[in-house]
Amino acid sequence: MLSIHARQVLAKAVLPILILLAVGLVLLGLVRRPSVDGVRLMATDFMAPAYHGLVWPQERVKVWLTDLRGATDLAKENARLRDENRALRHWYDVAVALAAENGRLKKSLHWIPETVPQYVTGRVTRDDGGPYSRAVLLDVGSGHDVRIGDVALDAAGLLGRVTEVGPHTVRVLMINDDASRIPVTLGSSHGDAIMAGDDTASPRLIFYPQDHHPVEGERVETRGQSTMPAGLPVGTVHYSAPNRPVVVPDADLDRLDIVRVFDYGDDDSQAPDAPGRVRVKKLPQNPLTGPLPFSWLPNLPDMPGRGGQ
Amino acid sequence: MVAENSTPHLHSAVEPKQTFRRALDMAARAAMPSLFIVFSAILLSAPFGIPGQAQLQFGIAMCTVWFWAYSRPRSMPALAVFLCGLVVEIFSFGPPGTVLLSLLVIYGVAHHWRYGLSRLGFIAGWLIFSVFAALASFFQWALVCLHAVALLSPAPGLFQAALTIGIYPSLTALFVWGRRTFANPDQA
Repeated sequence: MLSIHARQVLAKAVLPILILLAVGLVLLGLVRRPSVDGVRLMATDFMAPAYHGLVWPQERVKVWLTDLRGATDLAKENARLRDENRALRHWYDVAVALAAENGRLKKSLHWIPETVPQYVTGRVTRDDGGPYSRAVLLDVGSGHDVRIGDVALDAAGLLGRVTEVGPHTVRVLMINDDASRIPVTLGSSHGDAIMAGDDTASPRLIFYPQDHHPVEGERVETRGQSTMPAGLPVGTVHYSAPNRPVVVPDADLDRLDIVRVFDYGDDDSQAPDAPGRVRVKKLPQNPLTGPLPFSWLPNLPDMPGRGGQ
Repeated sequence: MVAENSTPHLHSAVEPKQTFRRALDMAARAAMPSLFIVFSAILLSAPFGIPGQAQLQFGIAMCTVWFWAYSRPRSMPALAVFLCGLVVEIFSFGPPGTVLLSLLVIYGVAHHWRYGLSRLGFIAGWLIFSVFAALASFFQWALVCLHAVALLSPAPGLFQAALTIGIYPSLTALFVWGRRTFANPDQA
């Protein structure tokens, strides 16, 4: 049994010890962030069923509200849907014609078909951003084959990339996170740029060619690089201020529900070894100090830059 | 008078008999503030899509620790603050350790000044809390900047500080009521 004095000393030492432990955790977070995030991912994995239970009432209420809103405005909604259906039927015909033409052209060009990427579909378990980051956790079930760097898309466009992988859950860093840098191509000007997230709804465009500024409203697509394939829709260019082009994402980053994670592989774009490359012979140290071996040639004028004066 | 002896009429010579059920009831009432932090941290990590959920996690934890550390330290010992901080850390994705360290520092301040704070009025206590909430948010922002090696916008930190300061009065009203009723171990 401890004495009263010892107990008093112990009681006074508890808080400083705990503060030291907290400082240790801060330092661990700065040095080994992935290990801390791994623990957080495990906790989320464990809590995933509870999260589904927690948001279930909210989802039901949303469905009821949508039904209610639809029921109150049936005639107008019907008319709108009929118009939309007509427009979609037109676009369907255009798409079928274009697909047939595309197939013919590819056949005549002996186009090598691209590999179909593997994908898994997951529901957003939780918004995992915090004040300074934009990320979501996806419940992709057990037995998935998702790898770090895989590409996440919603129904409309690019969403982000996978940064951590757990047994049931994966973490996707969204394109508007401050740490996100995605190489993109601009649709009409064909310039390359980097799309940099800045924690706002619209990521910025940086490092674009100074003689080809992005054009307001032009399409932005991904540029093929390692696991990121070319041509994925990202969004459209918008100038939020003069000389400040941003991308308005196609994906609805605020209301995410179902997300697909694609594995495009990372070893397809490796350049082959250059065949026939020969080693360059080393030149002698001072090849031009002696007299030229071609004595039969007439005197050549001094070459510019040879210091003949 | 120290605020934790807020129910002097119950400190009579005739105490209720100490049974297992009563001990359990007392422990549950004493653990109420810690359980409040833990449950709100878990609840606010669910994908409800409420704006400022993550900031609210931090704000609720800060307000709870501050209030109970000065008004009834027996219900909020340092070890409980540490464990609650760890739970908040696990269920948030901010820079690791910052919430935990902020909670411990604010606990230390409130616990050290508890006699003075009990004598101060609500507004003065709120102002002092506001300073520390702003400092904690600034500290978090500085660490994120250090980690990203870039000067990030301080707007999310300011929003977090404003939200923390803003929810303090309503949470205090809840806690004052709880201190008298459901979180009062003397009423077990």
